Amino acid sequence: MTFVRERGRSRALQRMGGLLAYSKPIPKPGIHTRPFWEGTKNGKLMLPRCDDCSMVHWYPRHICPHCHSTNLSWMEASGKGTLYTYAVQHLSFGPWAEEAPFVTAYIDLQEGDRMLTVLRGVDPNKPEEIRIGSAVSVEFEAASDEVSIPFWRVAEEG
Amino acid sequence: MPAALSRAAAIVGAAEANEIGFLDEPVTALQLHIEAIKNVSEQTGIPISRIEGVFSTGWSTELCEHLGITPKYIDTTAVGGCSFEMHVHHALAAIYAGIIDVALISHGENGHSARKIGSGGGNYGRGAGTASPAAEMSMAYGLGSAPSNYAHAMVRHMHRYGNTTEDYAHIAKVTRDWATLNPRAAMYSKEKHPFGGPITVEQVEESRLITWPLTILHCCMVADHGGAVIVASPKVAASLSTKPVWIAGAGESMSHGNMLEMGDFTKTSARYSAEAAYTMAGLGPADMEMAQIYDSFTITAAMTAEMLGLAAPGEGHTLWKDGTAAPGGSLPINTNGGGLSFNHSGMYGMPLLVEAYRQLSGTAEDGVNGDKGKQCDARTCVVNGTGGSLSTTGTLVLVADDD
Repeated sequence: MTFVRERGRSRALQRMGGLLAYSKPIPKPGIHTRPFWEGTKNGKLMLPRCDDCSMVHWYPRHICPHCHSTNLSWMEASGKGTLYTYAVQHLSFGPWAEEAPFVTAYIDLQEGDRMLTVLRGVDPNKPEEIRIGSAVSVEFEAASDEVSIPFWRVAEEG
Repeated sequence: MPAALSRAAAIVGAAEANEIGFLDEPVTALQLHIEAIKNVSEQTGIPISRIEGVFSTGWSTELCEHLGITPKYIDTTAVGGCSFEMHVHHALAAIYAGIIDVALISHGENGHSARKIGSGGGNYGRGAGTASPAAEMSMAYGLGSAPSNYAHAMVRHMHRYGNTTEDYAHIAKVTRDWATLNPRAAMYSKEKHPFGGPITVEQVEESRLITWPLTILHCCMVADHGGAVIVASPKVAASLSTKPVWIAGAGESMSHGNMLEMGDFTKTSARYSAEAAYTMAGLGPADMEMAQIYDSFTITAAMTAEMLGLAAPGEGHTLWKDGTAAPGGSLPINTNGGGLSFNHSGMYGMPLLVEAYRQLSGTAEDGVNGDKGKQCDARTCVVNGTGGSLSTTGTLVLVADDD
């Protein structure tokens, strides 16, 4: 168990006890992205999918970027994916600065397309041990009453 | 007699967003754009995928990314309400020039709804509505600076091709060697800057981490720079005492704005802008005797060299590692010392042009005291600028005057 994860857990416990508010930037749900944020609040990863070509896309759009149909709906995703690439942020600004170093990553979603995250379950001080292609799963952190933010975690081995 | 551009193009359709006016349900400016684009596409029968040029008041990157298209011509002229008439003018010129056949001019502005939902930030002017969905889905994760983004591409590039950070460090070392020949370079010498003068690959590797795997010497500087060039007709050029450098080819493209949409992180749209520029010039990578490449980071230079066809995929760094790009090498690259060691103010496109002009016109001394250390004998040069997060690219093929 790494120091960083311990620190994260302790912060989460403090927040649960109402001692420490979520201190990082919190997205403001847009008028077209509310189904996504309703989903995260309820522990679900909702993705936009085209009714005509069946392709999933991320981020949410007004039009399918694959076939340009405007017949779009939301589907509940598996919350599973693989690690496409990553980096370790040593120099960060604003509220994230105190967390540095931390690992950012792009996740290839099982249903298609890609999502950005801060990756959990890895040691930022041993970047060469992080493996591209690793299985990852989503988890949600309540940042406010309105917004729960998805984060991805590398699955435990074995 | 009408000018050559007269009737060189026509407006073939016009449409609006589904609902306009004082809308009860607030809309974003982006939605208004997209609805109007969809509607004019259906009206004309021209699929959105056939749009080659996008003209808007600052929105073009956002629109192309949202539509998932890779245009050949991008114009974001934003000078107020008359911008759209200017867009028509620019589109006419682009079509007359044979660069594109299908131009989209788009407008979306939620002056009414913005009072309900706020402007939401962004740099798209009044009434932009909420921030872009791409920004909304990225802002929670602590990215911000350029290296915080670009490092992800470097890790993927290393993974795909089995390269090490040391491979890319050679780019920083060799580019610094060029800077030591250029008294105007910020990193010319220890006397000029405490961290100036020659550096080793080991020093690059061991310097301070910014975003792993990028150490600070893998990153360009942020300094002050100003520059300007003049482009003129052959007739005017013939009347001047300065040597012309001919624009043999030009191309542009983009693949995304936000890296979420980049697709393959080991490739940039320079492969498209370069193809267009080479085709226009009737020349290819093998004909290039020099390159000026935006080296925001070592990885940017390596990837771009691959996209320009100067090296095989995954082998861009070898141009620097084996001395090809170095002073005295057969394909000099970034002869001023680059964004890594000459100067980089935030947007490096202008220093690329200035150095390419100086080299091909035989005036690549430092511009101050006659030092001739970096002048090369190249007669052709490929110039490529990268913008955003490996997002947009412009490529030029420049050739020296015959005289």
